[in-house]
Amino acid sequence: MAAPPEPGEPEERKSLKLLGFLDVENTPCARHSILYGSLGSVVAGFGHFLFTSEIRRSCDVGVGGFILVTLGCWFHCRYNYAKQRIQERIAREEIKKKILYEGTHLDPERKHNGSSSN
Amino acid sequence: MAHAAQVGLQDATSPIMEELITFHDHALMIIFLICFLVLYALFLTLTTKLTNTNISDAQEMETVWTILPAIILVLIALPSLRILYMTDEVNDPSLTIKSIGHQWYWTYEYTDYGGLIFNSYMLPPLFLEPGDLRLLDVDNRVVLPIEAPIRMMITSQDVLHSWAVPALGLKTDAIPGRLNQTTFTATRPGVYYGQCSEICGANHSFMPIVLELIPLKIFEMGPVFTL
Repeated sequence: MAAPPEPGEPEERKSLKLLGFLDVENTPCARHSILYGSLGSVVAGFGHFLFTSEIRRSCDVGVGGFILVTLGCWFHCRYNYAKQRIQERIAREEIKKKILYEGTHLDPERKHNGSSSN
Repeated sequence: MAHAAQVGLQDATSPIMEELITFHDHALMIIFLICFLVLYALFLTLTTKLTNTNISDAQEMETVWTILPAIILVLIALPSLRILYMTDEVNDPSLTIKSIGHQWYWTYEYTDYGGLIFNSYMLPPLFLEPGDLRLLDVDNRVVLPIEAPIRMMITSQDVLHSWAVPALGLKTDAIPGRLNQTTFTATRPGVYYGQCSEICGANHSFMPIVLELIPLKIFEMGPVFTL
């Protein structure tokens, strides 16, 4: 029972919780990792079955593929997400500095133009 | 504040809380995969036709299920320790506030720029105005500026209490005879709620904490000093 969003606020997506606790919709990179993991699981499991015709072993390969592909996508996506957050923070601070110091001797643009003309 | 039946973390209002949410997501994904594997193993156990009663060992499997958990624990511990040391960084606070726990209210002291001291009691239900939050709102809020590092010195005058504000990722025990320190930098203005987090008697649930975070320009005009 979520609180209704304030006017102008983006609506929180309806949460889908895998195994009752992993909120796939609202956790960054979770949906992407689980989807690719499921695809990897189907490809690995079905591929193994096509070559060997062993059902149980193919299921094991499928589960292993799901775990490995999900983990791999997860770390890759979270690494990029962390890099993006850092870049956003740097951009936000630069914008703030620019607004605060524009026209003064501390203006970052003036410093930058000064160093490039030297 | 948390909404009714909320299970997850509140939105972050400080960089530390953002890091904690990121770590929580990371740990939860690992937990999900482990649970998935365990459920699959359970399914296999319940559906197997293999009934060999002469199995004595399984060296390879035992090696795997020793080394793999060790690797998983390292993957969880490294980000955890990183955040732990990050919370201990002290980056030249602009303001120091003292918070003293009593049975059953908090006292706040702003002694940097004058001698402002006040108590913060929970608003009894009879005194609530329309829109006030039951069991959360207080008579005097802690008014603080955003985007300025703030140091909180926390202690207690009687029994153990704990000063906690989930949105800022803060929880520090108030121990009589000891001064604990926590620092934070809020990134968004707003009103943030917390509750005493250490059992301290009959009214332990009725001594909330309310922070009112306002822009630095407005804080400098001195609204907190007009009490």
